[in-house]
Amino acid sequence: MKKLIPILLVFVIASCQKEDFSADLTEAFSIESTSSGANYPIKVALPENYSPETQTYATIYVLDGEQDFDFVAENCKKISNEFSTSNVLVVSIGYGNDRVDDYTPTKAKEGGGGAEKFMQFIENELIPRIESNYAVDTLRSSRTILGHSFGGLLGAYAFTNHNSVFGNYLMLSPSIWYDNEIMLRLEQENRNINSNNHQLVYLGLGQLENEGRMFAPFEAFHQRLQNYYDYIAMQRHIEQHLDHMGSKNPNILKGLNFYFKFR
Amino acid sequence: MKIAKFLFIPFFLLKLSALLAQNDYHANIHQDFPGQTLKIAPAIGLNPWPTSDLVISNLVQWDIKKRLSLVSYTAYTYNSVFLRNFNYIKTNYNYSLSQKVGVGTTLYSKRASHTFSLLGGIKYNSFKETLENPDFEKVSASVSSVSPDFGGMYHLQVGKKKFFFSYRMYLPLYPYPVQRLDITAIDGNIANLSLEFGLGVRLK
Repeated sequence: MKKLIPILLVFVIASCQKEDFSADLTEAFSIESTSSGANYPIKVALPENYSPETQTYATIYVLDGEQDFDFVAENCKKISNEFSTSNVLVVSIGYGNDRVDDYTPTKAKEGGGGAEKFMQFIENELIPRIESNYAVDTLRSSRTILGHSFGGLLGAYAFTNHNSVFGNYLMLSPSIWYDNEIMLRLEQENRNINSNNHQLVYLGLGQLENEGRMFAPFEAFHQRLQNYYDYIAMQRHIEQHLDHMGSKNPNILKGLNFYFKFR
Repeated sequence: MKIAKFLFIPFFLLKLSALLAQNDYHANIHQDFPGQTLKIAPAIGLNPWPTSDLVISNLVQWDIKKRLSLVSYTAYTYNSVFLRNFNYIKTNYNYSLSQKVGVGTTLYSKRASHTFSLLGGIKYNSFKETLENPDFEKVSASVSSVSPDFGGMYHLQVGKKKFFFSYRMYLPLYPYPVQRLDITAIDGNIANLSLEFGLGVRLK
């Protein structure tokens, strides 16, 4: 037994996790969506010294909120301090349906195609609730959507089909390959409507995402945005030596830095 | 905390192998160490998840002492064997070359020996894919990169004569930290577990 004690100690040390974002600054509630029929858990991280009487704040809507909300909220606080700029409200959208249904634009082998209903929920139910209950800026340019993988695909769908909702897009390893690159078709169909809008876009990928699906569609989407959108501020970043999951947090950090610097 | 996490895995593997060695000691105390031996063991195998990579590798193991070996491991990996034409995305090429060296400790039984090693080195990755969807413009993307590569290896050697059966399992610990332990996920660690079988030869 004595021999096992050092191993157990190391297990305990290694399993210690970083604290969650300060609970004092976080509010939680849920919304029963009339659009999708699901019940979405929502969390809102307020900036430190949140002063609704004197100030309004920009918002970042985080997909896969269960996984990424704390990391995004914690780093928004750090990065806004570094840039000496006002922090944002971070809104976590938790799972009400399976993510492969809510985040995919069409029905295909890999997903159920519920993105339109999910975007209706965000646009007509979640955003009005946030903007009526908190001191947030209601301009499109003050709203950001952040998503990874299928979440990045939903970010791309928000860009092409609901461009009036968000002015800023942080798309990390977006699954542009989905349904024979349907996003490229949607981009093409909506280009005339969207290309004159101001946009801030961060596109991130991992250098080792070499499973034969991620890179070429990502580059095609990036080239489209670069070639056809005159009012876009865009950064494309490939995270060195990291793969699909490994590149997520580093790309979130770079995306947030880009956002706070150029918003 | 990050440093503690980095220290944890090699410490754990070493501790585990030491414990196993102690438990094994009495049973195998009469097994003779054949003396310093150089072994060469080419093998073929797979990274089974998620898209199946084919691995051709060679392992050189020099048993200096009964419980101490130096190990060199070279591998060529043909990546994503079964996913080279997906949703109009054609893989033009996709391979990796890896060279690692390290140290190991060996446990002996009557017919086999078990070597646990920690290895470190570099890995060269190169791939190119092209989107050839007739509805859209043709776009290619390619990457060539050199990255660190380190991890733990278990090497089973069955047979005490000149030729022996070799089975090995390599678990990469880079990228680190491991993001999740789902073996079917497209991750860099658990999903890239390598399982290989081959024939080895002992050179005195």
